[in-house]
Amino acid sequence: MPLNIDWQQILLHLLNFVILFAGLWLLLYKPVRSFMQKRREHYEKMDADAEKKNAEAEEKRAAYEQKLAGAEDEIAEKRRLAEKETAEYSERMRRETDELARTIVADARKDAARIKAQATKEARAEIASIVTDAVEKIVLEDTASEAFDQFLDAADDAQAEKKDE
Amino acid sequence: MTKKQTCIFLTVVAAVIAALIVGIVLTDGLYQKEGSIQDAMQDAVLHEGDKISLFGLPVNPGLISAFVVTGVILVFAAIVRIFVIPRFKFVPGKFQMLLEQAVGMFDGLAKSNSPHRNHFLGAYVFAAGAYIFVSTLFELVGVPAVSMAGQSVILPAPLSDINGAISLGCLSYLVILGGGIVSNGLRGVGRTLKEFSLPISMSFRMFGALLSGMLVTELVYYYLALSFVLPVIVGILFTVLHAVIQAYVLTMLTSLFYGEVSELHVKKPKRSRRARGKQEENNKSETEVTV
Repeated sequence: MPLNIDWQQILLHLLNFVILFAGLWLLLYKPVRSFMQKRREHYEKMDADAEKKNAEAEEKRAAYEQKLAGAEDEIAEKRRLAEKETAEYSERMRRETDELARTIVADARKDAARIKAQATKEARAEIASIVTDAVEKIVLEDTASEAFDQFLDAADDAQAEKKDE
Repeated sequence: MTKKQTCIFLTVVAAVIAALIVGIVLTDGLYQKEGSIQDAMQDAVLHEGDKISLFGLPVNPGLISAFVVTGVILVFAAIVRIFVIPRFKFVPGKFQMLLEQAVGMFDGLAKSNSPHRNHFLGAYVFAAGAYIFVSTLFELVGVPAVSMAGQSVILPAPLSDINGAISLGCLSYLVILGGGIVSNGLRGVGRTLKEFSLPISMSFRMFGALLSGMLVTELVYYYLALSFVLPVIVGILFTVLHAVIQAYVLTMLTSLFYGEVSELHVKKPKRSRRARGKQEENNKSETEVTV
């Protein structure tokens, strides 16, 4: 062949290059490319997350500004509601206090009547007891000495009988 | 400058000149070859006298160079795969950046030139680019080998062997053809065959470029008078420039033609006769209004 072209050597060169291509693809190109892809995805995800957070923050800011714009009305409304609630509360408290006072007075009266009745009853019982004691004292004052003498006599008789036996 | 400094300067210059003259005299005849320049050139192109035995098969030194280059690249790739790639970080270091730059450059080249189908193309141009670049720089190392005739031969760049250049040119054409077939079937074949001169032009462009560098270097080394300073420029600068330019040119052309033949064919919607007539009427009326 002209120029020393040799098909066998061309095929050998091809074989050499195919081996090189396969080796480089497996050892270098694919791993590096997949790493780069992984990193790209990582940063894209980070970017998407940041975008999402930004959007959320923007949304919150808009809502807050809207709230701020209607804050005066809201404050007035809240004040009116609070005043109304306070009035209702004080009225309810007054009613409850009155009710409680009435109950306390009624209970006190009841208790006083009950204590009075109890005291009267106890006083009566005490008087009766004192009278009974006094009567017993008067009655038993003479009879007691007589019984003691009889007892002493009986004791002397019993001692004499014993000696006789 | 004082008188003393002037004296020192002149002495140094004189010493350098004397050393150079001595060198020239001593090296006279050192680089004289037995054959003529015509023989040296012919040998560099045709490799008729410096065949090397590959398991008993006489081959050009370029083929041995190709095997050596492939071995070196694969060993390097294996070391990188085992020791470097598992330690890759999201914030790259210098070497990781270099690797990513190399892969990203060829990947980007494939993507920009062939947006429809580029996965295989990226890997191919990466391998081809790396092979051309390293194999061209391989010339600088000057690995010696023994020819079948028992003479010492410096292994040349693999692609300065015409067989190597033809194989890479034809393979690139086959890759382009494959891309065309996979993407567009017969239409892709047609598009690729339209560029029938491509394998020849790619092969001989590469062969010619690398060979010219080698021939110029041979020429320079052949004559004693040209052996000072000039080899640094022609030897290194030519080789480095060739490495970059040839790698870029072949990968660029392959990507470009691959993208062209693998571009998906979009059918143009056929317009009915009535619609065409209406359009013509509209055009006429617009022209009349303008007039």
